[in-house]
Amino acid sequence: MLVSLKSVKKYVDLGNLSAEEVANGLTFAGIEVEEVVKLASGTNLVIGHILECEKHPDSDHLHILKVDLGPIYGVEQIVCGAPNARIGLNVIVARVGAKLPGGEIKKGVIRGVESNGMCCSLLELGVDSKYLRKEQTEGIEELPLDAEVGNEDVLGYLGLDDEILNLKVLANRPDLLSLYNVVREIAAIFSKEVKIPSYEVKDSFKTNLVVGSSSWRCSQFSGREIKGIKIKESPKFIKESLLAMGIRSINNIVDIGNYVMLLTGQPLHMYDADKLDKAELIAKDDLVCDFVALDEQTYKVEKDDIVITSNNKAMCLGGVMGSLACAVDDKSTHIYIEAASFDGASIRHTSNRLGLSSESSQRFVKGTNHYQSEEVINFASYLIKEYCEGKEFSDIVKYQKEEKPVSQLKCHYSYINNRLGTSFSKNDIKNVLNRLYFNVDKENGDEFEVSIPAFRLDVTCEADISEEVIRVLGFENVKSELPLLDAKVGGLSLRQSRLRKIRDYLALNGLDECLTYSLVSKENSSKFNLLHEEEHYKLLNPLTDEREYFRTHILYSLLESAEYNVNRQNKDLKLFETSNMMSLSSRSEHLAVVLVGADYVRDLMVKSPFGFFHMKGIVEGIFALLGIESSRYKFERYSSYKEELHPGKSAKIIFQNVCIGAFGELHPNALKALGFKSSVVALEMDLEPLLNAKVSLVKMTPISKFPTVSRDLAMLVSKSVSASDIIRVIKTSGKGLVKEARIFDVYEGSGIADDVKSVAVNIVIGKEETLTDKEITDLLDKIKYELAKSLNATIRM
Amino acid sequence: MEKEKITKIYEDAEREVSEIDSSEKLQETKVKFLAKKSVLMSLLSSLGLLPPEERKSFGQSLNEVREKIARLFEVKEEEIRKVELQKKLQKEQIDITLPAKNMDVGGVNPFYVVKDEITDIFLNMGFEVADGPEVETDLFNFELLNIPKDHPARDMQDTFYISENVLLRTHTSPVQAHTMQAAEGKPIRIICPGKTYRRDDDDATHSHQFAQIEGLVIDKNINIGHLKATLELFVKKMFGEKREIRLRPSYFPFTEPSVEVDITCANCNGKGCSMCKGTGYIEILGGGMVHPNVLKMNGYDPDVYSGFAFGIGIERVAILRYGIDDIRKFYQNDVRFLHQYRKKA
Repeated sequence: MLVSLKSVKKYVDLGNLSAEEVANGLTFAGIEVEEVVKLASGTNLVIGHILECEKHPDSDHLHILKVDLGPIYGVEQIVCGAPNARIGLNVIVARVGAKLPGGEIKKGVIRGVESNGMCCSLLELGVDSKYLRKEQTEGIEELPLDAEVGNEDVLGYLGLDDEILNLKVLANRPDLLSLYNVVREIAAIFSKEVKIPSYEVKDSFKTNLVVGSSSWRCSQFSGREIKGIKIKESPKFIKESLLAMGIRSINNIVDIGNYVMLLTGQPLHMYDADKLDKAELIAKDDLVCDFVALDEQTYKVEKDDIVITSNNKAMCLGGVMGSLACAVDDKSTHIYIEAASFDGASIRHTSNRLGLSSESSQRFVKGTNHYQSEEVINFASYLIKEYCEGKEFSDIVKYQKEEKPVSQLKCHYSYINNRLGTSFSKNDIKNVLNRLYFNVDKENGDEFEVSIPAFRLDVTCEADISEEVIRVLGFENVKSELPLLDAKVGGLSLRQSRLRKIRDYLALNGLDECLTYSLVSKENSSKFNLLHEEEHYKLLNPLTDEREYFRTHILYSLLESAEYNVNRQNKDLKLFETSNMMSLSSRSEHLAVVLVGADYVRDLMVKSPFGFFHMKGIVEGIFALLGIESSRYKFERYSSYKEELHPGKSAKIIFQNVCIGAFGELHPNALKALGFKSSVVALEMDLEPLLNAKVSLVKMTPISKFPTVSRDLAMLVSKSVSASDIIRVIKTSGKGLVKEARIFDVYEGSGIADDVKSVAVNIVIGKEETLTDKEITDLLDKIKYELAKSLNATIRM
Repeated sequence: MEKEKITKIYEDAEREVSEIDSSEKLQETKVKFLAKKSVLMSLLSSLGLLPPEERKSFGQSLNEVREKIARLFEVKEEEIRKVELQKKLQKEQIDITLPAKNMDVGGVNPFYVVKDEITDIFLNMGFEVADGPEVETDLFNFELLNIPKDHPARDMQDTFYISENVLLRTHTSPVQAHTMQAAEGKPIRIICPGKTYRRDDDDATHSHQFAQIEGLVIDKNINIGHLKATLELFVKKMFGEKREIRLRPSYFPFTEPSVEVDITCANCNGKGCSMCKGTGYIEILGGGMVHPNVLKMNGYDPDVYSGFAFGIGIERVAILRYGIDDIRKFYQNDVRFLHQYRKKA
């Protein structure tokens, strides 16, 4: 809401308060002033009169003017490019040295002709073009013939010596979309008297107009018939006020409608009475028809749209826009004036659907005062009488569904102080409420009754009253005191601290923690989903196709981050992200990891290209970190019809018989599609089962006093035999004597057959007594025998 | 005669040993003086030629000299070893400015640094961390927070809808309702960090996805002063002991009274500068007393219980603290950006 300080000062004496002080006062009372701007500015201005106007010899558009600047400054020669410059015109002149929003005016020579100043348009004084008529933006401002030549208070003369406060009106204070209410608010904040005049125009005849409503969406409808009006230009003060508050001047009747709305907050609508079929205006919400509006566009009226009808024909889209059919035009003399109350939500639906928004509709959407229509109509009538030559005024006819509710609230001084943490006296509180037009009626000890002004739609409970008190008296009165709360063990839950631990573990091991968007495109929503497909949440109203689906996995987003980095020469990457995933059927915390290129950081001089086993190490590390023994999970070969992971270098993670994740090197086709030139290893894992896993208390296992024996074994086996097969056979045939079996070398290539590999294993044997040589030999023989038997291994040593 | 020989041998040994400068030379000299074929040893073989009464004393002197010479060599050997070790170590000197073999530490998106740090501050004040879904119902995101259908406040938060009644949460406040309903009338002290979504086009200062940390305290006799003190403590921990806070009245449908909380500008210490647009203060969060309707709808008697709530924008805090110029940087994950930040100790 743009508020003209000059207009405010008409209704309240603000003494020496500056615009900044007023703005501060409002801001600290909860009405944020976003900026204070001068409506127009300029120094060294004077009103001049064009005495001579000749064409510039070297230009097809410039004129050489002789301008009379009055007795002090005399006649000056000015070169002017405005097409409307002509003899006899009164103009705004910026003299040499003038500081205008666009810069300083200097003495100059324009194409060989001396120029001492500039004739200005309002644009050049900083007035926004949206408030100006087309001709005002194309040439210099034409001042009235009676403008006083030599007058230096040009801004004052034009009514542009104003400062505009831009108020951020929050949803709870629609009443502040009225200048009068802003004035009341400012007066309350600074403890000043308000002088808001009230007008009454007595009726001179009884109208035939019938008003009514068949819809709950219109709760109040007031109208008046006026005869003998004349459409012409608005008086200067109305034009100035509209300009200052951001509305363009059209003609006297339209401007009065807008002016009254700006001041009172009540939108008005005017109908040309002679263009209506019938002397009735009935609000309905069940019409379905085409509607040609004032803007000459045709709109579809649907059920639930509020329309004002006459003879069952739509004459106005209630609160949004009038119909062309009954619009007031230059020839109108006989009008109906409407001041109604409409349901904001309905107006919002209509206005959003049709893409029509106006100062009126915005006020209805936010909420208007339902109980001031007669005053408002009287105010408009007064202006119409004064400035539209309105001659005959009818009685005001009114439809009102509900009686004005008694808006009384029971309050307690102690409640207010207890809620605020303050110790205001009863008088402090009463005084503030009175300043804000809340009257404290009955008082009984701690309890009092307060009546709420009709324009304050937002105040409905005792807590609201406490806010009124504190926003005027100030939060600096609140005692800052930590709450005395029962002692308890706060902290993270086990699940939360495990997640934190995993994130810390990854970061402390050199991975970079990333953050990516949850919304993805349809196409990307299923890419690199290594876990089971789940049904996505899909937005009804996405901003773009790129952000339409709520993702069910992280990996593709993280691969995109990797791609982003690789394209910026960040070629070796270790990225991870944990994030909460939601699908139609589930919600769980996921982890994704992407390794790209090589691990340089561990050793900047030795490049270790990332591969499957790096990721395997990360996964095993996470299990170990949470104390989950390796016997509780396993890796199985990952298979998918999608060419995303390398089929030979990928694995599923099986935990408690469920696949909770998968990882592996990227499929060559995927590498190509994503534009990666080096190896990429990727992981996606559902962390939920880990975060909730039961981990038993570790009871100490006594450390054996007897020495263990270490023996190496090398064998040739078929390439299809896995390392885990070999370890399993060794452990099972070792009958508890094998404490550890670890593969330390695998060899394939020259010297041995193509289909076999040489595997070397270190075996640690131990027992709770001293082992004899025979025991060791027997055990190794047994192991060798079993390896040969079940894995067809050829023992080499 | 023989005695003189012995003395001469010792003197020779003493001289020659003193001239030794390498272990090779040492071995050579040692052989010369102590080996079986050495002069000293040859004297030993002449022992039998002496009269018996001299044999004993001559033998003793021979032994003594041999031991003395052996000691000379021991001392020299130790000396040489030290020198040679010194030389060897000198040769092994490395360029200590070469790159390290790192115990690596990863970079952290400053988003998480701030999120974890704020979380930890409140954990230390006895808060717990609550959690809620990002895909919410209209009921929890709006209705139970005193924002009924068609409430004008809904326009303040342009919403992504999934269906008429399912949406992406526009704030973390629905967790207030979830927590209250689960706590069944018991006192509450929680925070909830989480992602939120609004239908805003992405640019330097707007993001369709952002994150908040919600705070909620419910108990008997809670007032605004408690909110003020809690936030003061938070601000001092987070932004430094010198920061002061200021409450300004504002409006949120689920709190009454509602406040915006400003802190003194860290850049100018409250004097006014370009960062705070000359005001000396920077807005960092919103809060207020839980609206009685919200308490009532979620199972608390507003005549018995009261509470405060607040919401902090995680990216906003990170932007202010680290001077980040574009909110999209958080979501691009350029590692040159990430590597500037580390886990908070």
